[in-house]
Amino acid sequence: MKHRIIALALASTAFATVAYAEDPIKIGVPVGLSGANSVVAPSVVQAAELAVEEINANGGVLGRQLQLEIADDASGAAGAQKAFDALVFQKEVNVVISMETSAARNAGLPIISKGDVPYIYTSFYEGKSCNTNLFVNAWVPEQQVPPVVDNFVNKQGAKKFFLIGSDYSFGRGMLTFAKDYITKTGAEVVGEDYLPMDGSDWTAIISKVKSSGADAIITSTAGGAPNVTLTKQLRSAGINVPYGNLAVDEGTAKSMGAEAKDIFLSASYVTGIDSAENKSFLTAMEEKFGKDMRTPNDLSVPQYEAIYLYKAAVEKAGSTDTAGVVEALPSVSFKGPRGEISMSKQHHAPLTMYLGQVKDDGSVAVVDSFKDVDPGDQCPNL
Amino acid sequence: MTLILDILSTAAILFIVSAGLLAIFGVLKIINFAHGAWLTIGAYCAVVVAGLGINPWCALPLAFVVGAALGGLTEHFIVRPLYRRPLDAILATWGLGIVIGQLITLWFGRDVQFTPALLAGAVTAFDVTYSLYRLFAIVAALILGLGFAFLLDGTRLGLSARAVIMNETLARALGIDTEKVRLATFMSGTGLAALAGVLLAPLTSVDPNMGVAWLTGAFMLVMVAGSSFGALAAACLVFGAAQVLISIYFSPVVGGMAVAVLCAVTLRIRPKGFARA
Amino acid sequence: MLDRRNIRLILLATLAVSAVLLIVFGPTFLGRFSLNVLTRSMIYAMLAITVDLLWGYTGVLTFGQAAFFGIGAYATAMVLTHLGSSPAFFALALVVAILVPLIFGLAVGWLSFYHGSTPLYATVISLVVPIVVTQMVFSGGVWTGSSSGLVGYETLPLGLAGYFRLTGVCLAIFAVLAIVFVRSDAGRLLAAVRDNEARVAYLGMNPARLKIALTAVLAGVCGLAGFLFANASGVVAPENTGFVFGTELVVWTALGGRGTIVGPLFGAIGIDYLSANLSGDLPFLWQLIIGGLFVVMIILLPGGLASLVTRFLKVGGGETKLSATPMRPFDKRADDASLLSIRKLGKSYGALSVLKGIDLEIRAGELVSLVGPNGAGKTTLMRCLSDGREQVEGEVHILGRNIAGCTPQDIVALGVGRKFQVASIFDSMSIGECLKMARFSHQRPSPARSLAEIALPAPTVEILQLTGMAGMLDKPVSLLSHGQRQALELAMVVALQPRVILLDEPTAGLTKTERMTIGTILKRLTDEMGFAAILVEHDLDFVREISSRIVVLHQGKLVLDGTVEEVVNSETVRTIYSGGAHG
Repeated sequence: MKHRIIALALASTAFATVAYAEDPIKIGVPVGLSGANSVVAPSVVQAAELAVEEINANGGVLGRQLQLEIADDASGAAGAQKAFDALVFQKEVNVVISMETSAARNAGLPIISKGDVPYIYTSFYEGKSCNTNLFVNAWVPEQQVPPVVDNFVNKQGAKKFFLIGSDYSFGRGMLTFAKDYITKTGAEVVGEDYLPMDGSDWTAIISKVKSSGADAIITSTAGGAPNVTLTKQLRSAGINVPYGNLAVDEGTAKSMGAEAKDIFLSASYVTGIDSAENKSFLTAMEEKFGKDMRTPNDLSVPQYEAIYLYKAAVEKAGSTDTAGVVEALPSVSFKGPRGEISMSKQHHAPLTMYLGQVKDDGSVAVVDSFKDVDPGDQCPNL
Repeated sequence: MTLILDILSTAAILFIVSAGLLAIFGVLKIINFAHGAWLTIGAYCAVVVAGLGINPWCALPLAFVVGAALGGLTEHFIVRPLYRRPLDAILATWGLGIVIGQLITLWFGRDVQFTPALLAGAVTAFDVTYSLYRLFAIVAALILGLGFAFLLDGTRLGLSARAVIMNETLARALGIDTEKVRLATFMSGTGLAALAGVLLAPLTSVDPNMGVAWLTGAFMLVMVAGSSFGALAAACLVFGAAQVLISIYFSPVVGGMAVAVLCAVTLRIRPKGFARA
Repeated sequence: MLDRRNIRLILLATLAVSAVLLIVFGPTFLGRFSLNVLTRSMIYAMLAITVDLLWGYTGVLTFGQAAFFGIGAYATAMVLTHLGSSPAFFALALVVAILVPLIFGLAVGWLSFYHGSTPLYATVISLVVPIVVTQMVFSGGVWTGSSSGLVGYETLPLGLAGYFRLTGVCLAIFAVLAIVFVRSDAGRLLAAVRDNEARVAYLGMNPARLKIALTAVLAGVCGLAGFLFANASGVVAPENTGFVFGTELVVWTALGGRGTIVGPLFGAIGIDYLSANLSGDLPFLWQLIIGGLFVVMIILLPGGLASLVTRFLKVGGGETKLSATPMRPFDKRADDASLLSIRKLGKSYGALSVLKGIDLEIRAGELVSLVGPNGAGKTTLMRCLSDGREQVEGEVHILGRNIAGCTPQDIVALGVGRKFQVASIFDSMSIGECLKMARFSHQRPSPARSLAEIALPAPTVEILQLTGMAGMLDKPVSLLSHGQRQALELAMVVALQPRVILLDEPTAGLTKTERMTIGTILKRLTDEMGFAAILVEHDLDFVREISSRIVVLHQGKLVLDGTVEEVVNSETVRTIYSGGAHG
């Protein structure tokens, strides 16, 4: 009898150890499945799913499989609070990797600190968000705005800019930077107006644009729905001046069809990037999702690369412990569809930027490119 | 000129959205708090039609039929039992709105969708370029308004409806089948709401909760208008103008609540609203 | 002996004890996620109780409590973000979080509750308020964070367990206070306002003022909940002020059981907690179920889930007693001046003239009967005498004071009582409670206790004894016969100790015996106690027996005013009643 008990005990410990080693690494993905971001969220989820599938097929990370936990943050602060709470405290994820609105990110940060998990933010944003656990692999205004404004001022002779945005930290942050930059180039800002993130009636602002005599428009709305409603309404009103959209991605542009023609955008990813990594990425996406594939874009590709960056950091640190991962993240890199990415500059990443113009079939033609643009001083205290 | 067109088209859109609610409030004396859900249903009819590749104009009759059918079921099962409890009727229809919203989400997904414009592009006239679709909205509102005027003054149903609006008990005593009038009115009101949803869809975006934003504005306008379509048109014009002017000269955010606040103040000063005493 | 009352007490006691245990020991066995969610749910439960007090008890359907909550939360966050987070600033934040919503609540109350406002209008305002607040937040730019909300400010250093306990304690205290209040005499006033607002005014109290005060106080409580929320969650967003949240509160209250306090408390906690746990896995299905349940509940079970339980806990037996306080008769005034003086009174509705040139003086001790065919203007005259806001020509003076512009409660305060044609009492209460209401304008009710003994003036007690109601004070009014309802209303009016009583057809629908009883009482009141009474009556025999004077009204004009003999034998009266004198 005693032997049986010991054998049973040993077997269960062995089983437990094996089970423990098989414990998946959980990646929390709070994303805007509803609300303003819901237009782009499916592409983000697809990118995450592809990365996880590829990594798991190759043996996972440190022998453990990756598992995605997706939650809806409703593209806003209140929803993000619930989503982060559920992911960090209920599902107890090891890391949060996601693209979200700045409102959602700001609401999630206190929970990240309380729960002490690493957080890789994969969305472009207005910059200067700093937290020891926060890392960003997408662009900030210092990288993205100059190409558009320079092109308008130097190549299209624009002198009077009208700025339109969504009223939250991203919209305001981007346009504040843009206003400063425009004034430095010598041009003038003749109007600056905002609607709340969920606003969809731009009539009054459009009338103001017409009466201001602006010869160029720069917009920075929340990614997704506001871009579409604003563009639709601008076009219906017959406004055709140079239109630079700081927050639209290729996927949304494609879904807008003819109305998006001639929009200028500045991005760290376009589907036309000519590299082996991008080509194999696009092929893998088409194979996995077929006709359900959403156009990979500047909001979804960083998500794909971030999961690989996390893998690299965990392997370098030897475990999923937050302290180790956070220490390893700034020094690891990954060669993905956007090139060699490393979040080495104060938790932000130098990136190659492309200035693009939307064609009449919705795809983006690259007008100019800038290699390894520095993000500037985002978090000098980190 | 752009300003005038902005005001007229905003008023027109408000009228189209509120007309269905007014019909129901005038005759049944309850506020259909699921009105926003019917707007959403109409908008999704437009999405379905666009998805099937049919001519987008087909969405209009489809939406009306779907909306009216659903309205009939609602009147029978939810509104009729709550005839004597108007505040509870507000709550029950609000609950229904939630249920409809969730069913739409389950079927279509919660992401935002877009429909192509029924009439695309801009038109240039009088030195001004203006959205053709918004101009069409003005025309649509006029047709709707005149249609209702004709319905109420020129048809038997209209006469019965006016009798029920003025004094239901007496109407019943005179042999008018008030239950049928109520049912017909509710179905027309909801059918109209769905129609309005189709017309709204190309202007903004379509998502399961889009109707909620319009509900309060429509509701307030209906309270000010009472039971008269003429009063509703006047209210839409006055408060629509206020909304546009405040949005342009002050702030779009404040303009967004102009309709609701001004209506509340109007009712405080003159509880009958715009209706003739 | 275990009767229903004891069971109720035991249940409440068990709830209280479990609540205390949960609050104190909860953090030791609940996980972080649950603690977080329950803290939030308990804050929402506080809001649900405020909704219940306004809607379930007072009959004011409000979607606006979210606005007051949001203001409190934003006030706290704004102080902590823009001013600082020293203990002094936390105290300031607390004060601001309670005061600002309270003042806002006063404004909203003033806007919603006024003479002639309908319940629908109040609900409409309660819808507009959160919209306005949300838009104010959106237009606040950097101050309010606009769409982003406010995040990252310093919060009270309490930790998850600390917040859980703090919120639990606040909720428990508030719930207990609310339960004690609604059971007390003052709390029953809320139900009176819900049942029959006009009668509350005619008992000398100002229903609008009561509703405004209630709204303001509860707004302050919502603000306190907002303070707790801002600290516990660390994030304040525009959605917290919106009307969608406001409607969710109503849904939870309805499902839990309006009018029970405990129902909404558990409804809010239960639904919010389950929602947080299930919404990740079945988001739409869950909302669909709640929405569907809500609709079904409203139609089929308006009392909510709690009503399933309270049905079995209805306390039956009577224990309320009466005590008669002697009442001194009013002296006939020394200079024999009139109590009621009407001069050239006229009232018209547009082109239709209902009253014209009425002159009448009434002194103490008179029992004046007002007779005339239907449509003569009798009830209109009654209304003009009791509500000074009616637009009239001429003047009405009561006890020397011109009542133009006075509200019914002002006129009642002067010493007038009005008994309506259809008994205007409180249908959801018991006989004793109705009588208590009548004494509130003289003796402030207790906000904590429910008196078991009611002190009423002797004449009132006599009415109750004569009509057999003195021994069944706990009987629900809904079970009374028509005659008993009339008698009760008369008793309530007499309990006001008015100097002038206006009675509109007091004997309508009564049996002969009941009529005699009423007649005797009225005569006693006027002859012995010095009351003056004006009686609108059709029963001419009754009139002849008890009146000291008869006044005849015809087509809005006073055609005859004299003693019983003069009028009864007059030719004019005969012609009028037989329809011969038109034109």
